[in-house]
Amino acid sequence: MKKILFLCSLLLICFAPFIGEVSMSFSEIFKETTVTYKVFWDLRIPRVLLAFFVGGILALSGLIFQIIFKNALITPYTLGIASGTTLFTAVSILAFPFIPLYIPGVLGSFFTIMVLYFISKKIHANEIAVSTNSILLIGIALSYFYSSALMLVFYMSNLEENYSIIRFTLGSLDTIGYKSVSIVFLVSLIFYTGIYSYKNKIKLLLLSNDTAFLKGLDVHKTNLFLLVLISLCVGISISFVGPIGFIGLIVPHVMKLLYKQSADKLIFPVFFFGGVFLVVADLISRNLNTASSLPIGVVTAFIGAPFFVYLLVKRNKN
Amino acid sequence: MLEINNYNSKILTNISFSLKAEENLIILGENGAGKSTLARVLCNLIENQSVSFLDKSLSSLSLKERALLINYIPPKLDIFDEYITLREFFTLSFISSVNNEKIDAIIDLLSLQHLEHKSCQHFSSGEKQLLLLGSALLHNAQTTIFDELSANLDINRLKEVFDIFNSPALKQKIIITHNLDLAYALKYKVLYLQEGKIVFFGEHEEFFSASNLKKFYKGNLIKINEHLVVNL
Repeated sequence: MKKILFLCSLLLICFAPFIGEVSMSFSEIFKETTVTYKVFWDLRIPRVLLAFFVGGILALSGLIFQIIFKNALITPYTLGIASGTTLFTAVSILAFPFIPLYIPGVLGSFFTIMVLYFISKKIHANEIAVSTNSILLIGIALSYFYSSALMLVFYMSNLEENYSIIRFTLGSLDTIGYKSVSIVFLVSLIFYTGIYSYKNKIKLLLLSNDTAFLKGLDVHKTNLFLLVLISLCVGISISFVGPIGFIGLIVPHVMKLLYKQSADKLIFPVFFFGGVFLVVADLISRNLNTASSLPIGVVTAFIGAPFFVYLLVKRNKN
Repeated sequence: MLEINNYNSKILTNISFSLKAEENLIILGENGAGKSTLARVLCNLIENQSVSFLDKSLSSLSLKERALLINYIPPKLDIFDEYITLREFFTLSFISSVNNEKIDAIIDLLSLQHLEHKSCQHFSSGEKQLLLLGSALLHNAQTTIFDELSANLDINRLKEVFDIFNSPALKQKIIITHNLDLAYALKYKVLYLQEGKIVFFGEHEEFFSASNLKKFYKGNLIKINEHLVVNL
């Protein structure tokens, strides 16, 4: 079942570039003179690859966040990291239009995660255990603060800036050529390797912070490493495609239900199917109406928000 | 030798005592007296500089050295992941290299074969206690603190746990319990906590003398045929 799903997904990724507004035949994509050739190699392929790697990063970051904060509903989005990145990016569009967006993106997510980390450390001085409720509430407070600040940015910007900020917040996988893709690919490679090299430590964190500490793990240092790695990689990803939500929530949960194994064994499946999920969501967004493609963030939120509520209800039943 | 020197916090006041390497300890006290807090201080789950082993401060040791010296078994099993199985949990209990034969031996000893590949989160309270005991045996620290291990065990299981405590399977043991009959039968040194202060620290015979029992348990406890029974 899992193998079939894996193979089907691989096939889907291979066929994804062929599906879209401009239909293409297999023979044309190798003729350099045709429009099809350009659309296929410069638009479709980079788009599918970008979706795959961003999806993988977002899904895996959700899984690791849930382990660090010991709460199945926490993702970089619920903690305000996406809104932090969005705000910093919006400010940069307004004030420093000449610098590349991944710089404010990384700063925004890094800043947010450090605020979360140090406040939670202050609340639990001298203790290894972290109460996830307080983290979640700080995250919500931060999100509110960021969205108000974003309103202010909108208020202060002119129509053109307004438009580009809104387009950014909606999320888009539009890309031309391989520059963005190669950066995101590199980031996902570093991200995956980093997480994978911490596999044994992550395994201990799956028990409890106390147990991990008693087994000799430096819980604070491990969490800090993972948080910094995630914030940098998620920040860069979001700065390329906008804040695409809910992947970090849906994919880890579905993978747990499917595999029924401890989370340390799900690192690859979550990354892979996270990528597949975003490729599929992008296919939907590109093919629903032909006038223009639906913003990708809207598609994932339409799938994700009901799923989030479903998880909440299911969790409270247990 | 385990030593704690003049530890003070909101809950505990002026805590000092020392235990020789071969001495075991029972910690007794009312609910809320600070027993679990003391245990968490001893194993540095609550950061402090007051605990030392052989004159070396526990907080100055490397994390691995500390893990080899002291282990704490909480009253309740706390596992975040839904799908970790008993065998996986045992694999994670070792500090250094994993020894699969030892895991098999412990599963046999505690007769947990039927749970080996089941998810720990779905165990009953008693099974979770046994899982924690197994984990403590595999970790095998110099000092192991058990916080209310016996609370949810049936009579036969309690006897098994008593036999394990009495065997050389674990090195130094510190046991927090409300089961006075168990405490009495183990014949360990006794520490009695009251409102965060040590009000008794000494030998087993002295603590279980008629006058002390009256002082600490107000006549609610009586000794019948070398057993302590609640006077209902």
